[in-house]
Amino acid sequence: MSVKWLFIRKGISAISGLILLVFAGVSFYKSRHLKEPVVLSPGVSQVKKLSEYFTGIKGTINDSNVYILEGEKPGGTILLIGGTHPEEPAARLTTWIFTENAVVEQGKLIVINSANRSASTVTRLGGAYPPDFTIPTSWGGQKFRMGDRWSNPLDQWPDPEVYIHYPSRQELAYVDIRNLNRTFPGRPNGTLTEKTCYALTQLIRKEKVDIVIDLHEAELQYPVISTIVAHQNGLDLAALASMIISGTEGFNIGVEYSPPALHGLSHREIGDHTDAISLLLEAPEPFLDATRGRTDRALLLEGKDEFVVKAGRHGLLFEKMDENGWPIDVRIGRHCSTILQIIELWSEEKPDKTVKVREVPRYTDVIEKGTGYFLRNPAKADPKKIYYE
Amino acid sequence: MSIFASTQIILAVMVVTYIITKALKVSTELSMFAAAIAGALAGGAGIPARHIVEGAFTYLDIILIFITATLFMNILKESGGVAYVIRGILRKFHRNKVVLFVLITFLLLIPGALTGAGSVTVLITGSMIAVVLGYMGISKPKTAAIIFILAGLSAAAPPVSLWAMITAAGVNMPYVGFFLPLLIPCLLLSLLTIFILGWSKKPVNLKKALEELPEASPKMNWLRVFLPFLVFLLLVLAGRIWPHSFPVIGLPLMFMAAASVSLLLSPVRLNFLKISRETVHQLLPLIGTLTCVGILVQIMTLTGVRGLIAITIVTLPLIVVLLTLFLVLPVSEAVLMWGAAPVLGVPLVLLFNTIGLNPIIALAGMSVIWPLGDALPPTAIIGRLTHTAVEMREPYSRLLKYCLIPGAIIMIVGTLMVVFSKKLAFLTLL
Repeated sequence: MSVKWLFIRKGISAISGLILLVFAGVSFYKSRHLKEPVVLSPGVSQVKKLSEYFTGIKGTINDSNVYILEGEKPGGTILLIGGTHPEEPAARLTTWIFTENAVVEQGKLIVINSANRSASTVTRLGGAYPPDFTIPTSWGGQKFRMGDRWSNPLDQWPDPEVYIHYPSRQELAYVDIRNLNRTFPGRPNGTLTEKTCYALTQLIRKEKVDIVIDLHEAELQYPVISTIVAHQNGLDLAALASMIISGTEGFNIGVEYSPPALHGLSHREIGDHTDAISLLLEAPEPFLDATRGRTDRALLLEGKDEFVVKAGRHGLLFEKMDENGWPIDVRIGRHCSTILQIIELWSEEKPDKTVKVREVPRYTDVIEKGTGYFLRNPAKADPKKIYYE
Repeated sequence: MSIFASTQIILAVMVVTYIITKALKVSTELSMFAAAIAGALAGGAGIPARHIVEGAFTYLDIILIFITATLFMNILKESGGVAYVIRGILRKFHRNKVVLFVLITFLLLIPGALTGAGSVTVLITGSMIAVVLGYMGISKPKTAAIIFILAGLSAAAPPVSLWAMITAAGVNMPYVGFFLPLLIPCLLLSLLTIFILGWSKKPVNLKKALEELPEASPKMNWLRVFLPFLVFLLLVLAGRIWPHSFPVIGLPLMFMAAASVSLLLSPVRLNFLKISRETVHQLLPLIGTLTCVGILVQIMTLTGVRGLIAITIVTLPLIVVLLTLFLVLPVSEAVLMWGAAPVLGVPLVLLFNTIGLNPIIALAGMSVIWPLGDALPPTAIIGRLTHTAVEMREPYSRLLKYCLIPGAIIMIVGTLMVVFSKKLAFLTLL
């Protein structure tokens, strides 16, 4: 090969690489810095930062907003955690519905939309996730970041060869040191993810939270799906909620006992290390299935996939899957109703710890009107009422 | 057109593009890249810059480990440390091959077992052991086969087996009960491999070996050789013993620390920049492969081709699934590397669990088979790394030829572990 031809070939390769890097770089920058507005519901009385409960995360990407909704009458305290795994968008969007709509008459509701904000700024390597998605609304639509299961390596890197959980010393896959739902209860001198868990644990202790509800979605091939995973201290409440929801709300939800030997998860560690009842909700998300077909925004929002349907026909799924799929409205509706039902049952059982919440849609409302109906237009809102995730 | 048919067409376009570019004598890496671009175009995604770049970074951590570990070994080699060790081992053990083989087995198993990466075994102890085996009269292809198989088994061996850990995490199963189900087959199969491939009654010609081996500097000693390894081992152990007070520094920095100590202790003056440049040059084909595999997997996922392959395999009749594990697992490893664990491992373990098999033993059996795929194209990462580390001049296919018998035994043992997992459940001690 002549020197001239080699020079031309190397030049073309370098320029092509540079073009790819520029286009990709712009896309990465945009999704990492996409501002997601939250138009505060009239019920939000305070917006704090997570670092107010643990200064160790002040100034980090995970110093998330903590939305506090207080009733006029004293009562119990409930914490909703969204965005533990930002690749599970219905979990985050459910918290938007609460922060933009909920009004609390009694007790206190604390909502975190982006518990692991770092993980919401990166998509999974090899996963081909879209960088963002838009929820249609009457005023156009609102764009949200699609995230990953693990904190962004730009914020926490490198990983160890094996992750040893604190304090159990259980060995877990190395990458789970960046998984917010494997690092509870956290530690003050740990990694960013561990510090975030520690801050959340401190919040639960300082605010004397009675119930923590951690919102998730799961692939249909995962056995823990369409269920409430409960620490033993919340098993009765979860079982009762499951029974009533399955009888009245129009969908079925099961109950799973939090395995004592499985460490780092919110449903185990929060229950073990604080006084709060710890529950975790799982909704079905075909987008996460390993056998999914084309990976795009449509799959993320509509939850329809013929490959996953085929897996279901062969008995490989733990939740039904048909041509209707699992649209995001259904998944969000399930979370809304389950949360409301848990709060109502808790309040009936513990009148002195009552939490009364209104203006939050239930399952049928979200399916009928769509999620976008419950998102507020930031262009028409008082700028003082807008916060960004 | 159904989604199955359209995805099959995309897969066909990718395969045909790969075959054509290979026929045009384009390198494997560029052929994979071309297949990825063709797949994206056929799938209507255009040229998806974000996905191409994101996919290219999938194996960045592994690439960094390769570079830093190879740099460490090259510094050790240039300082005369490798020659010193080999001369020492040959003098001490040339009369007792059994002891030597057992020692070699442990030396090859430990680095991969501690780090979960067969590449670390190849790079840390593989190249040195290769020279020792060479002077024992074992041909380079046989030596490479021994090192490749043992490196694979070391990666599957406890305490860190990434296939088992990633799959266990995917099915919500704690990574407990795996120690014996992984240790026993890995250790026995390693010993079996080295004795099958390496045993001969021919004595070691010590005089000839010592004459041919390069002389190390007179100032070289065991302390200068082992202190860098000790630094590496202490850093690994410190992370295990004090995981919550020792900072997470990662394997690449551990190897750089070991390389720095080796450089400082070298009895001869070394040109660090020259060695670094040669190291990167030596590894460039592997780095290229890993980068392009990442891109290929990302585009396969984007277009649904990855899902098509996964769903086709896991929906085969159960008997076919069991009887083809020996083929499916290595092939998935060859394409996806550790990505095979979430894509195939998770649905397979769930399937086995559903039909009443023991998921821990079944997963351990699968974990023993998976590493064999590291010798197969398109990636063949560990196989090619071994080919380079052993300085084999023979074609790569010779390495594969000698892997056939131990590979077949490993496949049979792994498959039997899956089939009889229920009866072997006592090994979990749970």
